[in-house]
Amino acid sequence: MKNSVYLKILFLVLSGILGILGGIEFVELRNYKETVVVSEDFTEMIMLSEYLPSLKGTWGDTPIYIYDSGVPGGSMLILGGTHPYEPITTVAAYVVMENIKVESGKVYVIPHANMSASTLGMLGNAYPKYFSVETPWGSQKYRIGDRGTNPLDQWPDPYTYIHYPSGQNLAYQDIRNLNRTFPGRANGTLTERISFAIMELIRNEDIDIFFDYHEASLMYPVVSTYVAHDDAMDIGMMAAMMLSATQFPMKIEASPKNLKGLTHREVGDFSDALALLMETPEPFIDRVAGRMTEELMVDGIDEFVQTAAEKGLVYCDYDIKEGFTDPLGNVIIGAPLDYRVGRHLSGTLEAVNWMNMFFPEKALVVSFPGYAEVMENGTGYYLHDPSKADPSRVFKN
Amino acid sequence: MYLQTTIIAIVMVATFALASWKLKSPEISMVITAIVGALVGGFGFPSRLLVEGMFTYFDVGLIFLTASIFINIYSETGAMNALVRWIVKQFYDKKWLMLILLGILLIIPGALTGAGSVSIFVVGGLVSSVMNYMGFSKKRIAAFIYLFAMLAAVAPPINLWAMLMAAQANMPYVGFGVVLIVPIIIIAAFTILYTGLSKTPGRKTKTEILEELPQPPAGMNWFKILVPFGVLLVLILLMQYATFYIPVLGLPLTFMICAFISMGMDKDRWKVKKWYNVMVKTVDQVFPLLGTVISVGVLVNIMTATGVKGLLAITFITLPMAFIYITALIFAPFAQGSLSYGSAIILGTPIIFLFNSMGLNVTVTAAALSFLFPLGDCLPPSRIVGRLTIETVGYEGSYMSFLKAIAIPWLFMGAIGLLMLLFPNQLRFLVVY
Repeated sequence: MKNSVYLKILFLVLSGILGILGGIEFVELRNYKETVVVSEDFTEMIMLSEYLPSLKGTWGDTPIYIYDSGVPGGSMLILGGTHPYEPITTVAAYVVMENIKVESGKVYVIPHANMSASTLGMLGNAYPKYFSVETPWGSQKYRIGDRGTNPLDQWPDPYTYIHYPSGQNLAYQDIRNLNRTFPGRANGTLTERISFAIMELIRNEDIDIFFDYHEASLMYPVVSTYVAHDDAMDIGMMAAMMLSATQFPMKIEASPKNLKGLTHREVGDFSDALALLMETPEPFIDRVAGRMTEELMVDGIDEFVQTAAEKGLVYCDYDIKEGFTDPLGNVIIGAPLDYRVGRHLSGTLEAVNWMNMFFPEKALVVSFPGYAEVMENGTGYYLHDPSKADPSRVFKN
Repeated sequence: MYLQTTIIAIVMVATFALASWKLKSPEISMVITAIVGALVGGFGFPSRLLVEGMFTYFDVGLIFLTASIFINIYSETGAMNALVRWIVKQFYDKKWLMLILLGILLIIPGALTGAGSVSIFVVGGLVSSVMNYMGFSKKRIAAFIYLFAMLAAVAPPINLWAMLMAAQANMPYVGFGVVLIVPIIIIAAFTILYTGLSKTPGRKTKTEILEELPQPPAGMNWFKILVPFGVLLVLILLMQYATFYIPVLGLPLTFMICAFISMGMDKDRWKVKKWYNVMVKTVDQVFPLLGTVISVGVLVNIMTATGVKGLLAITFITLPMAFIYITALIFAPFAQGSLSYGSAIILGTPIIFLFNSMGLNVTVTAAALSFLFPLGDCLPPSRIVGRLTIETVGYEGSYMSFLKAIAIPWLFMGAIGLLMLLFPNQLRFLVVY
């Protein structure tokens, strides 16, 4: 009996120590700030709560970076980090923010669309906390987050999630999935409020073209794809054809009409914006991927995914042995970070280009590095050293 | 990577076997296995991953705890005994009707919440008592409750496996109603026949049973008996049909509200010590189960970190198709035993994609898989619903004998699931939008 009590106390103490050790790491991840040096065309940073004051002071509030040319033209909104376990989407948004030049029109970038979700790894998926991008001046560290809003900020989940306003039944955890809660509710859950605020931004600022950056497992048929709302289908189709012919393989899918809550469907339905979502291949989140390491996130090289590819179970080019050659002559081994970042950059530029052709009245003249440049110089080349930058252009996210 | 991961997997299996043998505790063995796996896999002592793993099934554990608190408080008020008395009085001579009603009673909570364990928590004790008094053997009672708990989890409107697979495959969770209900009716009918046709030699007379059953406490009436369950049903329906007008309550709070209402129905409602003792008893009761879900979470997290989970998944989905069919009845349940609902994501989704690429109907396939995964809720390492059934029924035989007891209806359900998996296109007429 006495031994049993001692044993219980020992377990309690050990659990306490484990809790403290683990807790320190959780706190560190939740409070770690990423650094970004905005380009010279940057005009102002506002918070998402400007569009829904109830977000102020919550982990759902997130910075919006605005690049206003002052010249009439189209407007664009880019979302990175809708799913923070697809963190290359945030890196791609940073590359845009650090290098963009806007000659006409206005650009909005939200690098962490779901800030809360970026502050915790995905339970049961054993993700590393961070990954790093090598630059000429050192390495830049970024968070690897969850798919859904941090339960510390939105909890509990219901036993089933009912989408607003359609009433469609979705899996319970999707109530914290930003890409299932659009168009959102002003008085809903935190995730629904984030969606609503983004919709308000789109409607109030008359956004012409909307991009939601994502990454997908290679066994997901929609990988390496534009998903386009009906209104953006022509643009997406032309852009996908051009990209496939000149830069990298890109598919196009129509946004399903009866699948609710997704950005490409609801932004298109509930605003005038042309809505596009882009998926790059991310072996890290494949169900069959091996060790969960920072290297896998950066290099995208995984033998188990390779086996799946050899068995014809993946929906994009993938080869970790000899690689595959893109139309520019680059040999892509695995699915490296540069490849994924570059895809998003050129995917955006190409679609904007076609919007300008289809809708000259919405012309948006912007430039930033594309796929070819990133593949040649590396992503890190386009990330600037905060210690040497004008402090007014350095931001923490 | 294959070699390294295989070595880690072997070391983990060996550690688990050795630890289980020496310590006789699957829970502690799983945690030790996870730590050894992480060390061998080069992750050092992964404090964060261990803590993260502990929280993987946090919500599930909380539901177990609060549902048990509710039902134990409800029983403490004497309402449960009164309910059992009434059922015995009314249905003693109508065995088949009683079994059908008990089956429906078991299905409702799980169908509404997606969790078979909730069915067992909420009505399992009641069903077990009634069947016990009606003379059914513990084996048949266990089989009946376990099977209906599985069917409850599969039944629409909430089938979590299908929902998770649909979400992963970007297909809407629609069209599942009929394709789930038809097989459920077939399996339920089989289970009722299997139970009802069994011999009940020890069956007492109605009078004997009613004498044996404790008298309801003074003042017990239908209002007090029904209100706690009525509130539970209303809250669940409100969450489903008035969700935009009420805050998200979550099941743990829902059960706690019902627990407090049950308490309020009792004449001793202010005797804090009494309710404190019920809570302590409940925590004692649920503790082993919580230990299991926590340690399974830890193990799964380290299996993921080291790539062992990926190795298992890639091995399964690259098997020849014939082999997938042959082994589905083994792989799917065992995946559920170790990954719980994660099985739908890790194995279910790739199978959906694989079948989709072959032109097979994915709605029927997802429905079929959702009949196969829950079969594993009685399998190690977690054995969640299996253990819950044993505790609820008060089954005293070994775990193996419990598995034998449920084998026939279990296999029947597996066969139905397998048939659906084999003939998804022929069964597509059941997909009704």
